[in-house]
Amino acid sequence: MKSVSIAGVAKAFGGLSVLSGVDLEVPSGSFTAILGPSGSGKTTLLRIIAGFERPDAGSVRLGPRVVDDADHRFVPCERRRIGYVPQEGALFPHLNVGRNVAFGLAREDRRGTRVGELLELVGLSGMARRYPHQLSGGQQQRVALARALAPGPDIVLLDEPFSSLDASLRASVRADVHDVLRLAGATSILVTHDQDEALSMADQVAILRGGVIAQINTPSGLYRLPRDAELAQFLGEANLVEGTASGTMVQTALGQLEMAPAAGGTAGRGPGYGRPVDGRVKVMVRPEQLILDEDGTRGIPSVIRSYEYFGHDAVVRVQPEIAGLSELVVRITGAEPFVPGARVGVSVHGAVVVWPLDDRGPLSAPREAERERITHA
Amino acid sequence: MTSVIADPARDRPPGTPGTPGTLGSPPRPSPHHARAPRRPVLTAVAVVASIAVLLPLVFLLVQAFQVGWGTLDPLLFRSLTAQLLWNTISLTVVVMTLCAVIGTVTAWFVERTQIPGRRFWAVLVVIPLGIPDFVVSFGWRAIFPSFGGFWAAVLVMSMAVYPLVYLPVAASLRNADPAQEEVARSLGLGRLTTFWRVTVGQARLAILGGAVLVGLVVLAEFGAFEILGFRTLTTEIYTEFTVGFSTSAGCAFSLILVVLGAALLLGESTLRGGGRGARLGAGVARQMRPVPLGRTRPAALGGVGLLVAVALGVPVGSIVYLIVRRGSTTMPPASLLGAAGNTFFYSACAGLLATAAALPISLLSIRAPRREVRILERSNMLILGVPGLVIALAFTYFTEHYLSGFLYQTPLLLIVTYAVMFFPLAVVSVRAAVARSPVGLEEVGHSLGVPRHKVFWRVTLPLIGPGLAAAFCLVFLESATELTATLVLIPTNAETLATQFWAYQSDFAYSQAAPYAGVIMLIAAVPSFVLGRWFDRLPARGGTAEPQGPAPGTMVVL
Repeated sequence: MKSVSIAGVAKAFGGLSVLSGVDLEVPSGSFTAILGPSGSGKTTLLRIIAGFERPDAGSVRLGPRVVDDADHRFVPCERRRIGYVPQEGALFPHLNVGRNVAFGLAREDRRGTRVGELLELVGLSGMARRYPHQLSGGQQQRVALARALAPGPDIVLLDEPFSSLDASLRASVRADVHDVLRLAGATSILVTHDQDEALSMADQVAILRGGVIAQINTPSGLYRLPRDAELAQFLGEANLVEGTASGTMVQTALGQLEMAPAAGGTAGRGPGYGRPVDGRVKVMVRPEQLILDEDGTRGIPSVIRSYEYFGHDAVVRVQPEIAGLSELVVRITGAEPFVPGARVGVSVHGAVVVWPLDDRGPLSAPREAERERITHA
Repeated sequence: MTSVIADPARDRPPGTPGTPGTLGSPPRPSPHHARAPRRPVLTAVAVVASIAVLLPLVFLLVQAFQVGWGTLDPLLFRSLTAQLLWNTISLTVVVMTLCAVIGTVTAWFVERTQIPGRRFWAVLVVIPLGIPDFVVSFGWRAIFPSFGGFWAAVLVMSMAVYPLVYLPVAASLRNADPAQEEVARSLGLGRLTTFWRVTVGQARLAILGGAVLVGLVVLAEFGAFEILGFRTLTTEIYTEFTVGFSTSAGCAFSLILVVLGAALLLGESTLRGGGRGARLGAGVARQMRPVPLGRTRPAALGGVGLLVAVALGVPVGSIVYLIVRRGSTTMPPASLLGAAGNTFFYSACAGLLATAAALPISLLSIRAPRREVRILERSNMLILGVPGLVIALAFTYFTEHYLSGFLYQTPLLLIVTYAVMFFPLAVVSVRAAVARSPVGLEEVGHSLGVPRHKVFWRVTLPLIGPGLAAAFCLVFLESATELTATLVLIPTNAETLATQFWAYQSDFAYSQAAPYAGVIMLIAAVPSFVLGRWFDRLPARGGTAEPQGPAPGTMVVL
């Protein structure tokens, strides 16, 4: 087990900057997810940690050892003691499962019990003689994990390992991989663009945006206390309204709401967050924080626009009958269908997150001007 | 990318609830090749190989320069030149067109329709590729002694080389999305219009690539035309160099030939343009449903049957007839065995040499694609436009003038010449194989703590093995059926099947010549079959995208 620390890592490809000063600390034995959309540079970051790619600036440390300082100190990939699980497994097509797993073992260990143990660990005992093309996508992914773990790496790097699996398979493979990594006790770094995956698997999630880490926190800290509206919407649905903050309360069209305490990990490092904000603010209300009253007596009078049923819950879109409020998204667990056109009352439950109006994301300054224009017209 | 979220919510009015950042996956620019590593050893080997390959071109230029314009001018601009040029160009154009039509139509029938015995025809229509052109014309001549002239040359060449169009077109049709044809039909296009606008469009690059190869083969062909008594630039060059001993005239004609070849290659790359071949977008093509032929079935069956009968039946039948008619008494078995051994040995060595030499440049051009590497690779392709005869003469010249005859008419020089002649073919096969073995697998190998050279032996080599085998077979096949360069460079007191055949054939000893032709066909059949299998599996196995891969046409250079 080793920690990973990345300091000021920058990388450009042909003049196009992909990473511009990434700092990241991954504690020993933890599971960290790097979350970002395609093209955000997360795979490049992982490849730099692995040693496939060299940074233009900055340094990478695995445990106490600097493995790359963007200068002449460079430890090649094969001597970093990492395990790498690429997208779609990348099993060696010419080798059977057993030989794939044994690939990184010394010659004398290849015939030992290690391969069998690993296959048992990933739940594929008895499959050693199969060839990769005879396996399902999920099985291939498990073999890739077993292969990465075989030499006993200190750090396991996973590059969107579940993106090629279909939705039904993804959840179970994800859970299995999580368990196996826990058992192996390796420090794990997962790169993904899937927020569910990051939130459900990791101890800490780092969001990569525009070549830098935008925020690092625990999954719940990130969801509850996103640093700006853009991150809030990236991690889940969010209703954004305007309000006027004073003290611990914020006055909005939805009523007077309590502001969430500014706490939680390194979330508070950003500008405009973690300190009290007074005056005009942007307010985020998660869909599950909204409560619908079927009688329409309590809360803001509103009209049902649409109702989507998902089984475990349902998403209702409502239009409040108050000037200046747009459609709201509400997530409810009740199975009672709402008919479009019906009248309900909407109220907010729990504390809300606020940011200054000039923050990133929707409800920013130009939008404000446009809104003014519309209301005055 | 400056923002995490490409979110339509941003374009909504303020206060609108957002949706979570559901992120599609737009094609990610692959950054892994942006800063390619330097590989000094590989580069050195690649440069040496390229110099050897480009030597003949240098020879021609040096030669022409030394002879001087004053000598070349009267040689170039005379009525004989005009006649030869007309013969060569008209024949090339007609054969290219015919082959394009025959190859494309046959490929469509075999790949896309419910023609009975599809698999059977798929094998039979490719076999003529393994029969040397001079054997084909010999076969015709044996049946029809007065067979000759322009149209005879057209018939023989078309029947001998149309597979060069058929193979890439069939591969590209197999690879193309059949849904495109269905969409065209649904938009109201008739079957013929659909074939012309969609199917031919899909296979455009393959047809073009195949036709250019046909053109290059016709330009370089010697034996077939010599037998048919049809004079082209190549037959004339041979005569000038060997009979007339006129180096300057031969050199002048060679220059014209090289210019024609270069024009063909240039024309191809211009016409190829920026268009994409088979399909856009990912996703596995649905298994296509073959088109039912209905009432045209007998005609289609008859057409393909006739093609096989003419292209395969005539030469094979004629050779078999010649062998059987005289019985085995006149056959000199010892000499036949010796010639077969020589052919096998020279061709195998050439195959090994060319494949080994093709590996470094292929690895470089895929794994470390710098601009200089690409130029180096492209320049090697120029040799495709130079007839084997000219290459052989170039090496003869070099050994005579700079090595005072050392190496001249030794097995080594012949092997090197074969390897140079067919080097581009080896490069194309090896390159396709390297491109299809993902670099990610090697990275995984390194990440597991296995050093670089061991990863090469344990991962790279097994993966590109089939491609190396294909390259070997290709060069072997071409060397075993090569005639012209062999006639010039054959070691003293040695005979190959081709030269011995030629010797008998020139003396009108057809029955003696026939067994040699038969053995050539047998030897060529094996690698042809291996190659057919390899190319047959190409599209199905092509999992990885190829960044700067060859067009479908050049993939199947044969």
